Amino acid sequence: MIQKQAFLFPAFITDYTQKELELLSGNGIDFNVYLKTASDKLGIVLPKFSYTEEDFRNDELLAQIIAYLFSCAFSDLLKKKNIKPSFGAGYSMGIYANLYAAESISLEEGIHIIYNAFKLVNELACSGKYGMGGIIGLNVDDINEIIKKSNSNIEIINSNSEFSHVVAGTKNDVNTVLRLATIEGALNAVELNVKTPYHSRFLTVFDDRFTSFVNTIVLKAPKFPIVSTFDQRLITTSDELKKELVFNLTSKINWYKTMQVLLKNRVNEFYECGAGKDLSKIARFIDGDFKFSSIYKI
Amino acid sequence: MAQITDKIKKEVKEVIYEFFAEECETPIEDISDKTNIISDLDGDSLMFLELIEIFKKKYSLNIELKTIGKYAVKHPVKTVGELINMQLLIIEHENNILNFE
Repeated sequence: MIQKQAFLFPAFITDYTQKELELLSGNGIDFNVYLKTASDKLGIVLPKFSYTEEDFRNDELLAQIIAYLFSCAFSDLLKKKNIKPSFGAGYSMGIYANLYAAESISLEEGIHIIYNAFKLVNELACSGKYGMGGIIGLNVDDINEIIKKSNSNIEIINSNSEFSHVVAGTKNDVNTVLRLATIEGALNAVELNVKTPYHSRFLTVFDDRFTSFVNTIVLKAPKFPIVSTFDQRLITTSDELKKELVFNLTSKINWYKTMQVLLKNRVNEFYECGAGKDLSKIARFIDGDFKFSSIYKI
Repeated sequence: MAQITDKIKKEVKEVIYEFFAEECETPIEDISDKTNIISDLDGDSLMFLELIEIFKKKYSLNIELKTIGKYAVKHPVKTVGELINMQLLIIEHENNILNFE
């Protein structure tokens, strides 16, 4: 029996199912409208969307924008189908689409926040000195031991499950740790296609500036509680949302704990609001009696 | 340490074929031992991890993931058939798989 439902919002798109556009158009949702809104707001002509368009993968801003637009379109589809969540959670930059789905911001306001957050931290990306990596098959202690022994200037910035983690820091040290992780028995250790060390201590220098920006925007209280990926508290007010936006950019997050809190709150049905299936794949390694319902089969 | 019987061989093959058929939305009859997991099925390391967990539970295996990772670095798996053979070795030798070389 379904007790409670939650919407989950991915950060980036690793692999499209390549059925996204068909699903949206088949339900009367024109994705071009979302793209045009983003183009108008950004003041640039976005490339025409195709599943293989490299700009939407390799350009860090466009990668975030396209993930956000798909997530917003998918949450509109669920709303159209009258599916209402008890909770929401956004994986990393997925928080912006979560705010849209919770009616705290408009589509345009989300673009505005993403652009400004990106612009702020872009000086790190432009330096080419930073990176992120994913490690599968080792636990937190194993990875921290490698970081310590190699004296690397990186840290675990997110855990997806007991054996799936994300690290961020200086690019050279990320690569050193990934190489050592493979030797230590990681099933996979790969550099991510990201030049900004999101959620790491390198971003704390932007705390004040991002807080100042966030204080210029108007956020409405969310229509459903949002679980913080920073400390897993339930967010129900606009003030807390503002704090969370800053935490989410400049502090470590923990998706594993976030999912556990949702399960403790009796959520047993999840919808992945976004392109691809990254979050449902990650969830296979989280214990609990729950299911991911496919938006494609509603 | 388990004795690998024909029954276990059959079970492992069935589980792996059915797993990829479902995960990769591919008809099971299109999968063979020569099927390349990455290029033909678009498989990934999370699928590999999930399969390991399935077999750990099914056969109550005493093996650490990193032991499998170390073995896999020296013996990379590309095809479904190679993966079946690796899983059988894991079931047979568990944490001693590195000594098996």
